[in-house]
Amino acid sequence: MPQPIVPLNSRLEAIGANRDPALSGRWLALISGRGGREQVLLLDLERQQPIDLPGLNRADAQPVSVSVDAAGERIALVRQLEGRTELVLYRRSVQSLQPIPMVPSGVARQVQLQTDGRQLAVQVSRGGIWQVDLVQIP
Amino acid sequence: MSALLLITLSLLVSGCSGGAWLARRSAGPVGVFNGNSRQEPALSGQGRFLASVVDRGGRATLLLQEQPSGRILPLRHFQNRQPHSSPSLSWNGRYVAALVQQGNQRLALIEDRANGNLHRLPLPSNRTAVRLSLSPEARQLAVQVAQAGQWRVQLFDLRSLLEPDLPGGLAVQGGGAEPSP
Repeated sequence: MPQPIVPLNSRLEAIGANRDPALSGRWLALISGRGGREQVLLLDLERQQPIDLPGLNRADAQPVSVSVDAAGERIALVRQLEGRTELVLYRRSVQSLQPIPMVPSGVARQVQLQTDGRQLAVQVSRGGIWQVDLVQIP
Repeated sequence: MSALLLITLSLLVSGCSGGAWLARRSAGPVGVFNGNSRQEPALSGQGRFLASVVDRGGRATLLLQEQPSGRILPLRHFQNRQPHSSPSLSWNGRYVAALVQQGNQRLALIEDRANGNLHRLPLPSNRTAVRLSLSPEARQLAVQVAQAGQWRVQLFDLRSLLEPDLPGGLAVQGGGAEPSP
């Protein structure tokens, strides 16, 4: 029988509303907060501590979907910003944010980063049809 | 000539910084399933398997495919439990987790493709499962639930239930094995 992980669940409960969990290695990425004030949160499950993500969260951006690799180095994020939806890749060690355009153009909705961080799968709307793109990441 | 070279180089550099140069492809056709709609992608650890939710006769149905061939792999326990949602795979694709419908409840299931076993995650009746994430080694499961009008994420320890599926392990090829006693 699966057992609830009580200390971590208490920690998550204390954070408040949260959604879109993504587990990988010792990391849990999720979207935390309510309404228009949500942000990406990365938790180190071994230390039971949130990790700083400088440059990733913006007050004027609405996170939609998030995923992390097993090293906790790469975070893929779909977000809405200034009326547009964009997919970005965040590299934690260098605090860089790289946009990943949809080719052909489309509206990204949900992203999942492969565990080793070398590929991502993203759900994209094109002409009213949902498709899945696979994007290699060097 | 040099101006043309400069323009070409600047276009290349701007393309690189924007990520437009990244190798990409569509996950491709969804085989015998109707239409082309495909949602909720989930890759195994090294990308060998892709799970997604496709439309099958108007019902959201879990589809597991080998990549890049697109070969469809059978799943034993998800039939007749549509709509499916939120698939998640372990490192070598041994475990497939997803939400299914059972009566009026959403239920989290984990299928072990190595031995055909099925594992159910019971949740209290006042919580509705919305989304899943299986850790790649199959040690934990994160479940987003709706509870009293709020979304919460809860973690479950699977170590007493599942063998780990570690990097470098063998990919489960066929699937749909008979459940072990």
